[in-house]
Amino acid sequence: MNDAPLLTMRGIVKRFPGVLALGGVELEVRAGEVHCLLGQNGAGKSTLIKILSASYQPDEGEILWEGKPVTLSTPQAAMELGISTIYQELDLVPDLSVAENIFLGHELSTAGFSQRSETLRRTRDLLARLGHSEIQATRSVGRLSPAAQQIVSMARALSQDTRLLVLDEPSAVLDQGEVDNLFRVIRDLTAEGVAVVYISHRLEEIRKIGDRITVLKDGSTVATGLAVDQTPTSELIKLMTGRSIEYVFPPRSDAPPMTGDPILEVIGLELAGVFTGVDLSVRPGEIVGLAGLVGAGRSEILETLYGARRPSAGTVRVAGKELRRGSVPAAVKAGVGLAPEERKSQGLLLDQAIYSNITVSTLGRFSRFGLLDSRAERKRSTELTESLDVRPAGVDRLVRLLSGGNQQKVVLARWLLRDCRVLLLDEPTRGVDVGARAEIYALVRSLADSGVAVVVVSSEVEEVLGLADRVLVVREGRVVHEGPAGEIDESRVLDLVMEGKVA
Amino acid sequence: MSEQSTSRDTGAVENTVTPAKDTVTVERAAAESGGGGGGLMSGSFGRNLGLVVALLLICAAGVITAGDRFASVDNLLTVLRFASALGVVAIGMTFVITGGGIDLSVGAIVALCSVWATTFATQSMATDFHWIVMVFAALAVGAGCGLVNGVLIAYGKVVPFITTLAMLAAARGLAEIISERRTQIVTVDGFKVFFSADVFGVPLLVIIFALVAIAGWVLLNRTTFGRRTLAVGGNPEAARLAGINVNRHTVMLYVLVGLCCGLAALMLVSRTTTGSSTHGTLWELDAIAAVVIGGTLLTGGRGTIVGTVVGVLIFATLGNVFTLNNQDTSTQAVAKGLIIVVAVLLQQRLARNANST
Amino acid sequence: MRLRTPLRRHQSRRYTGIVVGAVAVLSLAACTGSAEDAAEDDNGGSDSAPAAAAGSNDEEGDQVTIGFSAPAADHGWMAAITNNVRDLAEEYPDIDLQVAEGTNDVNLQISQVETFINDKVDAIVLLPFDGAAMTPVALKAMEAGIPVINVDREFDDPNAARITVLGDNYGMGVSAGQYVCEQADGNKDAIVAEIAGIDSLPLTQDRSQGFEDALSECGLDVDARQAAEFTVESGEEVAANLLQAEPKIDFLWNHDDDQGVGVLAAIENAGRDEFTMIGGAGSANAMRAIQDDSGVLKATVIYPSTQGADGVKLARLLVQEKAMSDLVEVEVPRTVQLYAPVVTADNVDQYIDSAFES
Repeated sequence: MNDAPLLTMRGIVKRFPGVLALGGVELEVRAGEVHCLLGQNGAGKSTLIKILSASYQPDEGEILWEGKPVTLSTPQAAMELGISTIYQELDLVPDLSVAENIFLGHELSTAGFSQRSETLRRTRDLLARLGHSEIQATRSVGRLSPAAQQIVSMARALSQDTRLLVLDEPSAVLDQGEVDNLFRVIRDLTAEGVAVVYISHRLEEIRKIGDRITVLKDGSTVATGLAVDQTPTSELIKLMTGRSIEYVFPPRSDAPPMTGDPILEVIGLELAGVFTGVDLSVRPGEIVGLAGLVGAGRSEILETLYGARRPSAGTVRVAGKELRRGSVPAAVKAGVGLAPEERKSQGLLLDQAIYSNITVSTLGRFSRFGLLDSRAERKRSTELTESLDVRPAGVDRLVRLLSGGNQQKVVLARWLLRDCRVLLLDEPTRGVDVGARAEIYALVRSLADSGVAVVVVSSEVEEVLGLADRVLVVREGRVVHEGPAGEIDESRVLDLVMEGKVA
Repeated sequence: MSEQSTSRDTGAVENTVTPAKDTVTVERAAAESGGGGGGLMSGSFGRNLGLVVALLLICAAGVITAGDRFASVDNLLTVLRFASALGVVAIGMTFVITGGGIDLSVGAIVALCSVWATTFATQSMATDFHWIVMVFAALAVGAGCGLVNGVLIAYGKVVPFITTLAMLAAARGLAEIISERRTQIVTVDGFKVFFSADVFGVPLLVIIFALVAIAGWVLLNRTTFGRRTLAVGGNPEAARLAGINVNRHTVMLYVLVGLCCGLAALMLVSRTTTGSSTHGTLWELDAIAAVVIGGTLLTGGRGTIVGTVVGVLIFATLGNVFTLNNQDTSTQAVAKGLIIVVAVLLQQRLARNANST
Repeated sequence: MRLRTPLRRHQSRRYTGIVVGAVAVLSLAACTGSAEDAAEDDNGGSDSAPAAAAGSNDEEGDQVTIGFSAPAADHGWMAAITNNVRDLAEEYPDIDLQVAEGTNDVNLQISQVETFINDKVDAIVLLPFDGAAMTPVALKAMEAGIPVINVDREFDDPNAARITVLGDNYGMGVSAGQYVCEQADGNKDAIVAEIAGIDSLPLTQDRSQGFEDALSECGLDVDARQAAEFTVESGEEVAANLLQAEPKIDFLWNHDDDQGVGVLAAIENAGRDEFTMIGGAGSANAMRAIQDDSGVLKATVIYPSTQGADGVKLARLLVQEKAMSDLVEVEVPRTVQLYAPVVTADNVDQYIDSAFES
């Protein structure tokens, strides 16, 4: 292993409006090693990758390539250095053939005429090198399995003299046999001196393939260059979750209403291919948390019981009345509200005023013969935003201009206004500043205390444990654990969601 | 780890909050940029103002080059009469575009409505019963075409561009079949008398345009329907998750523009005293152009009736000034093209500013 | 309720027939030669003694403002209409021509006429996109005291125009049919094919009817008939199919020289030359081919593209209160229907200068 690092990143800072995505990241990758990047959702891994592939420009910090400072100004510049990235969402053109995809953008040609036979020959060589000679070079990529598509992406990276290969959760779309093959390919590559940055949630994979580990948390590097074989799992989990900033969770009500009729009852809910056999009941005043990895089916469970997706089996009852399947208006009418995961793309009308975002589900209340009383809308919205302390004040502002936390408060205000009885919160604090998180937690608890049944989904285990009365752990579409939040701790939840067994 | 479990167990409210310094700075920066939001809100007024200035400039050009020939009541009414039928269609189009769609079939629907309202059968019924039969026929056919468009788009999940392109071909073809490609002449006197009436010197067509514009403004800005249109066009997924029946609303938008086409067809029938499969040729382009230069976002979520009305008037006045100055067809087409391009460039610039704030 | 039908075209031809014969030839001659005539007059060349009266008509009179509006120039013939109108107006210093945007939108064309009315022009020459649809605004102009000259496509109310200038679609068919009869010279077995224009248009039906009627005079009939769409592409497509279907043809009449470009291309591709082809409308392309006398195209029947120019010229006379000098009548006639002559290699030089470029 060469001692001069291939890539060094120092003090990388990236800001987005209202959010500090990266607050000083250090990373050092040597040629020929598999360097694992570890961190919870939102820790800044994706942002870091995008800086490496030059999709984003860092606001501060420097990048050294073989010891020399470089500026990754365009994706082409990154490619020329030999940095290739394979994203979770594969960026292939489905209607083009395997060979065309591999050489897209750097086609083999003589005087503008493509060299078909040479392209096909080199495609076959690349696929053979990756151990997948069975993939036909002329087949269109859209007809391949996800695993085969990933091989094509890797062949594409190899076709351009890659020296640093970034793999973002490569195993998410693969079964065990395919993962083994992937690891074989990675070992071949590193033997040839290629450096690999490997991102995964699965600790067991990291143990198998990784050489060194860098841990990110809240946009900063908390540990770098840890040797995989000398770092215990407990240490890694602690690094990933132990925070410099403590969350403030409001006290649970003294006597959680564990008796009484549930307001929300979910029986045998199934969305084919995503999750199955989900039973859930929530009483008024209770907060139930769903913990699990991205892709485990948490958000889909919420969306399905809200009617935004049509379940393949199961029933949802609110106050004893069965909801029409796959109908959002039916759920809303029954008193269910959802604060969706992707607040900006699913929850908010970004280019409209705060007040119209708040009243959008309650327009009937402010209208007579269809005519809106916008003065009343503004008045009610002002009362709500004041009580929720939305800053800056003023309900005519565009929602786009608010910070993440204040945007979330606007979504909550919408359902508060509707007097909803069941509130579904999907990643309620994603992109929300630390200070504002505490306010949102307090708000959710006070809603529960007023008799609302709350279901919270979060990839931050601590948040689920701190906020909820009862916790359900979801792994690969199934509920693997259910119990009071006080009887389980974070590392046990992490074990459940990451390795499927209790450590 | 131990810290956080303590906090959970005790459930202490007064737990340590030590937010990082730079995070606070970021939040403050966000708050400050939010403070500038008031200025941006007034931007929509500014955009309309810009359009009005453009209209005034064209009028000034008219006065300078054509003098009293331009600045006369008769000429004003000529411009308004021309703008009326197209304007009604453009107002309907404003709703569809604001709601995130597009309708390429408006011209063809106008033709079909005009033909249907003037067939021998319709006019016989109108003669025997009342001329209102013709009005009903045109509005029903327009609404029916809109319903077909809307259902295909909302429930069939066919993209609006393709659906309405198909309707464009089908409706004009049907109009040709029904009329046998002949021009159908209106013989029902009651219809002609009613629609060619003046009220205090203002032609009824212009009054209808004004009423539709006012109703459209109220509908878009002051009703639940309008608010939902903005929501559906701005972010259909968010609108759906907020409990709005997006599919049903989409259907209603296309029915609305269909009704506008039916009304515009009646106005055109009265203006020409004919129904014809060639009526409304290329109106879809004129209507979309007027809506877009008016400041309605083609991507949906923001719409302005005032802008559309001014947009229609700009094109109508421009054509009038060119005719008065004896300018040839080609120059006028180039000027039209330039106005559209400049308006869209300006709109993109504004959108970019809004995003970067 | 009335519909504008082929039948009405026939009727109108009947009641206008009286003036047609005499006036049509004259006005065509005047028109085709107008540029040269006017130029000679300007040079003081008044040696053309028989045209002395015409000469006085061409003398500069009171300033006349004429508004002109026509459909969009999306066809060679229609483009030629407006170009001829502009050229004519430049020959007369006393004509102030206002040309509105060519449009196929009747709403726009109506507003153009309204602008002319507001402007108080002296006369309006109108080639309507749709005659019936333009009738109300033409009536309005007439009521305002502005004479309307209706060109080519008729209004549905005779009171809407002071003068109507028409082509002769039925006559085109008759001319083409008579030419075929002459050439067949008694051969009753000659195979006759016809490529028509847009079949649903009354003018196409008129042309075909005239063709059929004239052929029956000499015992011939149409053996194969296909309709194209006045475009080059449609002409090529239809002709290719027709040639495929008919292995031997003696005569082929094609209604329109614009689509004829495509028809000739198809004939060339098929390598056929055993028949005589007759064109229609009279484009410069067709006339040059006739002049060369090297291909199958031996003749074409004129549908004058100078109708608009004739309308403007008549409007000028009307406003200046001049009569048509070769008529005894002191007023400009109500209806002028233009003759549809056959152009062959023998007389092509006479017509080629007034032909339109497609």
